[in-house]
Amino acid sequence: MRIGIVLPEAPKYSETFFNSKIKNLSESGFEVIVFSGVRNNKEHSFKNVSAYPVYRGRYFKQAVSFMYIIFKTFLIAPARALKLISKEREDGKNIADAFKILFLNAHIIHYNLDWLHFGYATMALKRENVAKVMGARAGVSFRGYDINIYPLKHPGCYEKLWKNIDKVHSISEYLYKKALKLGLSENTSYEKITPAIDVSLFQFKEDAGKIKNPLQILTIGRLNWIKNYETAISVMKNLEERGVNFIYNIIGSGDELERLKFAVYQEKLEDKIIFHGQMKHESINKVMDESDIYLQTSYQEGFCVSVLEAQAKGLLCVVSDSDGLKENIIDNVTGWIAEKRNPEDYVNKIINIIEMKDEERMEVALTARKRIEKDFRIEDQKEKFIKFFEN
Amino acid sequence: MSENGFEIFLFGKQTKNVSYKGDVKLFPTPESKIRLIFFVIKQSLELLINSPGKYFQISKIIFSRSPEIKNYILKAGLIFPILNNEPDIFHIQWAKTVERNPELMEILSCKLALSLRGAHINYSPLNDKVLAESYRKYFPLIDGFHAVSEAIAKESLRYGTVKEKIQVIHSSVSDDLLKENSELCEVGNEIEIISIGRYHWKKGYHYALDAMKILKEERIKFKYTIMAQGEIPEEILFIIDDYKFGDEVKIIKGMPHKELVNFLKTKDILLLPSVEEGIANVVLEAMAVGVPVLTTDCGGMNEVVKENINGYIIPVRDPKSIVSKIKEYTLTDIYKKKEIVNNAKNFIHEEFSREKQIADFRKFYFSLIK
Repeated sequence: MRIGIVLPEAPKYSETFFNSKIKNLSESGFEVIVFSGVRNNKEHSFKNVSAYPVYRGRYFKQAVSFMYIIFKTFLIAPARALKLISKEREDGKNIADAFKILFLNAHIIHYNLDWLHFGYATMALKRENVAKVMGARAGVSFRGYDINIYPLKHPGCYEKLWKNIDKVHSISEYLYKKALKLGLSENTSYEKITPAIDVSLFQFKEDAGKIKNPLQILTIGRLNWIKNYETAISVMKNLEERGVNFIYNIIGSGDELERLKFAVYQEKLEDKIIFHGQMKHESINKVMDESDIYLQTSYQEGFCVSVLEAQAKGLLCVVSDSDGLKENIIDNVTGWIAEKRNPEDYVNKIINIIEMKDEERMEVALTARKRIEKDFRIEDQKEKFIKFFEN
Repeated sequence: MSENGFEIFLFGKQTKNVSYKGDVKLFPTPESKIRLIFFVIKQSLELLINSPGKYFQISKIIFSRSPEIKNYILKAGLIFPILNNEPDIFHIQWAKTVERNPELMEILSCKLALSLRGAHINYSPLNDKVLAESYRKYFPLIDGFHAVSEAIAKESLRYGTVKEKIQVIHSSVSDDLLKENSELCEVGNEIEIISIGRYHWKKGYHYALDAMKILKEERIKFKYTIMAQGEIPEEILFIIDDYKFGDEVKIIKGMPHKELVNFLKTKDILLLPSVEEGIANVVLEAMAVGVPVLTTDCGGMNEVVKENINGYIIPVRDPKSIVSKIKEYTLTDIYKKKEIVNNAKNFIHEEFSREKQIADFRKFYFSLIK
């Protein structure tokens, strides 16, 4: 079976989700081709085909390239090219836009594939008719940004996609329901495949259930507004006012650093909140070993792999009531859920954890670990992805 | 200033056509590459003829930092017109200039003034150690600082300013606004709240929306408007959708100033939920036209708004306080409200008039010359 996966760029080393998914499919006998916007220089075990470049501002070069690519596409796959133009015209596109769409998909359209799968919903925009024209089935994976944020700025953006998609994959029940609200048909085939982790890489820490003084709190994630770190910083301020001694480590980088450093400065917590920037996996593992509580205050999460990893290691997880996280953590059983923008609620949960006995905390940590081992194994996820394409 | 005996020279890159009344001379640096090259040639010849020593000195300084000819042209385009028309006082408007163009501090022989305002002092140097170091290196060379608030003056001490060199000069409100009056009346069926200002995290709109969510849950009827230019940030769009606001929350684009003032006057309260400000002009204007203000206690806002005297002031990052103040306001009798807005108007008239600002700047500039 031949599967084409459309991604913005060929996955880098750190994108283990895609790399392992693609590797697993390849090892199970599928031929995988990754169609990406940009090639990176990494050696891959899969075929990587990049889109034809767009020369912004260089009109002559763009015009020549455009005409050459269109001509080439009509030469190699005339029927498909015509069919795509015709379908786009039926959908109301003018002739110029229809040809632009052909250009954008010229690197994909001539391949013979069983599946054309879009890694993210936004990757399917301006590609909605391509799978049909190629005689392939169309699939799409949902991620948080594409379902939660993008449609707020572009209402109705997926109407065309829903009409042309054969199967959808969601990492959480919540994202699927949101897609239904955005117009996805209930009749479209759907499979929930949550993220999973290799638990052997996340050993249950020796002192799980015990907490230290100062309390060691950790968050791992990019410094982006959606992670709602300002609430986490307010939580720390509240903890300080309630007399709790702590250190809060934040691992991750991003464009919110100035905003967050200002919040830390304003709340006078510079000696208690540490920004580590990006760290290598081995170093992150070490910090996790030394942490007591994992905090995730996100506005929204699709599911959140970091929280799975933290549970696997035996950290006590306090997370926001964002929909994806409510499927990740079972409240009061494998962790604690707090009102996302209410610092007091998080603080109450943390103080409750402090007041628990070691054995009570250990029970929560162990229950979380066992659930990860049972329901979030990477081996099961691999099977599910194979079935997704085979069925 | 130009109508009060000062000759103003404006230097910098010209990105659009502007004109000013009064004795204001423009020495614009062209944006386009070709025009810039010719401009630099002309300015270089002028400097070489009038002051060859300075020409070689500044050229040496520029090349010592970077040998690239492109850099020389950019720097010369900015600095040579100033050297050819050196004023008595060179007033740097934005602090980051000392990092971007340190040559100015090294070559100008006139008095140097610098304004302390905004992000350049309040939070940029917290995240940018190189910037903070450049402030510590070059601020001692500045003869006088103008600070927009006491708070920013205090903050600047971390970066090497000295108290004796700082003069706090508040911004001003036009006399026309002081003549405006809002029809203060009892809050109707729903309290109408407005926030005005550009989109930026420091404006704290997310905290205002948290407060509106609480009001909604407590079934208090309100209408909240955010007026700002530009693309609405994803965070704001997300919160409005997540909190399932209907008509009660509106986002509108900015308007011409006269229209904006008239629109503002139809509201019950101006809310400033910011986490950082120098002194927000919109609050001054609301006070001038008789609209009650509710502001966070950030930056220099407590130098303007005094709780229950001329407005309402609450802690930063505290939506519950916004809610309780709004509830308090709805229960305040009309006479107290009138007293508050009258006090606000009088305060602006005394402390934030154009006249006072000009007098303060006059005093500031003459103190440098002395």
